[in-house]
Amino acid sequence: MFWNHVSKKLSAYRHGELPSEESRRVAEHLADCSRCRDEYEEIKFGARLAQRLALEQAPADLWNELEAVMDGGTIHRRGAENAEAPQRKSFWPLPSFKLGAAFAVLLLIGFGVFWFQSRKTPRPFWEVARIEGQPVIGSKVIGEVGKLSLGEWLTTDDESRARIDVGQIGLVTVEPNSRLKLAEARDEEHRLAMTRGRMSALIWAPPRQFYVDTPSAVAVDLGCAYTLEVNDDGQAVLSVTAGWVAFESEGRESFVPRDGMCVTRPGIGPGTPYFNDASEEFKQALARFDTAGMDWPSRAAALGIILYQARERDALTLWHLLSRTFGEERGLIYDKLASFVPPPAGVTREGVLSRDKKMLDLWWENLGLGSADFWRMWKGPAPK
Amino acid sequence: MERCVVMSEQASERRLIEACQQGDREAFRELFDVHKDRVWSVARHFTGDEAVARDVTQQVFLKLFTGIAQFRHEANFKTWLYRLVANECLDEFRKRRRLISFDFFRSEDGDERGEVDMRDWRQEAFQEESLARLEISEAVKSAVMQLKPKLRMAILLKYFEDLSYEQMAEALGCSAGTVASRLNRGHKALAQKLTHLRGIIGAAE
Repeated sequence: MFWNHVSKKLSAYRHGELPSEESRRVAEHLADCSRCRDEYEEIKFGARLAQRLALEQAPADLWNELEAVMDGGTIHRRGAENAEAPQRKSFWPLPSFKLGAAFAVLLLIGFGVFWFQSRKTPRPFWEVARIEGQPVIGSKVIGEVGKLSLGEWLTTDDESRARIDVGQIGLVTVEPNSRLKLAEARDEEHRLAMTRGRMSALIWAPPRQFYVDTPSAVAVDLGCAYTLEVNDDGQAVLSVTAGWVAFESEGRESFVPRDGMCVTRPGIGPGTPYFNDASEEFKQALARFDTAGMDWPSRAAALGIILYQARERDALTLWHLLSRTFGEERGLIYDKLASFVPPPAGVTREGVLSRDKKMLDLWWENLGLGSADFWRMWKGPAPK
Repeated sequence: MERCVVMSEQASERRLIEACQQGDREAFRELFDVHKDRVWSVARHFTGDEAVARDVTQQVFLKLFTGIAQFRHEANFKTWLYRLVANECLDEFRKRRRLISFDFFRSEDGDERGEVDMRDWRQEAFQEESLARLEISEAVKSAVMQLKPKLRMAILLKYFEDLSYEQMAEALGCSAGTVASRLNRGHKALAQKLTHLRGIIGAAE
């Protein structure tokens, strides 16, 4: 009966776009097929989300601008200020076939140079030294030293450890039962991808030169020493012993200072950072809060414990929570943080509740955790 | 009765367009007022950038102004207009594909609140479905901006303008089957990106 699933028709079914006979067939199929039914639930949820898109009012001055242009004014393209100029009609005097031929010749030369260079230039690599056991690169057990080339995997079993020289900028120690890949090795970007295990890094380069991809976030070095542990479920725990590290994923960021920790989870991303000497109740409540999603009672219970247990030092955690909470939650966090670190001049409750970035930065400066300058620098475009 | 209203709206739109075709600036202003918020909303949600959305909206209405004389009433005006919108948005995306910004989770809510009172807090705040409506809307907006451009445009045309699949196909220059497929993929992608909202969105409906 289920040789012909209806998954491709589900949005049309939801929107009443199918002819009545076909719509009836889809309804009958859904009654009997759990796979398509599950998929329909997914479509319905996506549609309900899309219905939340809110119509916005066009800017009031749009007509005046438009009318000025219609009356012969010039078009001022605001968006163009930050973008490349749009392509204009070519003024090149050569006919198009000559241009095409010239382009083909250039392309051939380009390929030739690339081929020659690729034969001549070896793949980038980092040196690996065995500490104990039998670390493996690719499928080969290394001796005392080995080369981890771009794209290759380094694996340690339960008795092996290894040390990687990260170009000229630092050292990484790879603990037993770990697996990681050299993902990028350029002067301005040194990147490992870690799928499981434990590593510790000591980096002396300026911030934003060393990255570790984990299954649920990227650890961005901001000049530091830290350990990173990734379990088989893709959850990663970051523990910083010197300097700063940022955990980042899809716009969500956590900044972790010395003695700080942070957990990142698949589907959620970087959790809220905390100091490792916080109480167990505080840490457990924070973990529950980070994973509660929109389960309001669970959030309320967890946040109550966080606020009750928080010490002045936990301003780090409270400050991060300000941008991860909703409505009244944020008001409560504001009050608690203000009781530890009064907001400086220029920072208002109203501004913080609406997540005014300047005010949050200003308040950060008073937390005694160092200047926010490092973070603004980090906020530049991340390398791909 | 509903049919009469629709007929009347169609007749009114036809008269407005005919006046625009005669060069009546006031009529064009009226046409602009009728469509500006929807065109703006599609452009704003598609580009994720206010300045770029202004450019797109301005270009759409300029093209409408200069091209409306060519419009023939056998075609559907909304389809014709949204073809301009889709083309302009997608052109802009191609030009700026590396530069479009995506804002995450900005919100404007929050009110005055004093000390911690867990009992009141749970009762008044967290059991209130409207608590996070604004922020849910922002989350959806962010998730839509992360969709691939063709899926994003399909979702925006459907949910801002409520075009039929046939109208969307005409506006996007593809088949109705392709529209169905893009909406399917768009819905699924939104559901996966915002899976953490399942509890509250599901409970509300």
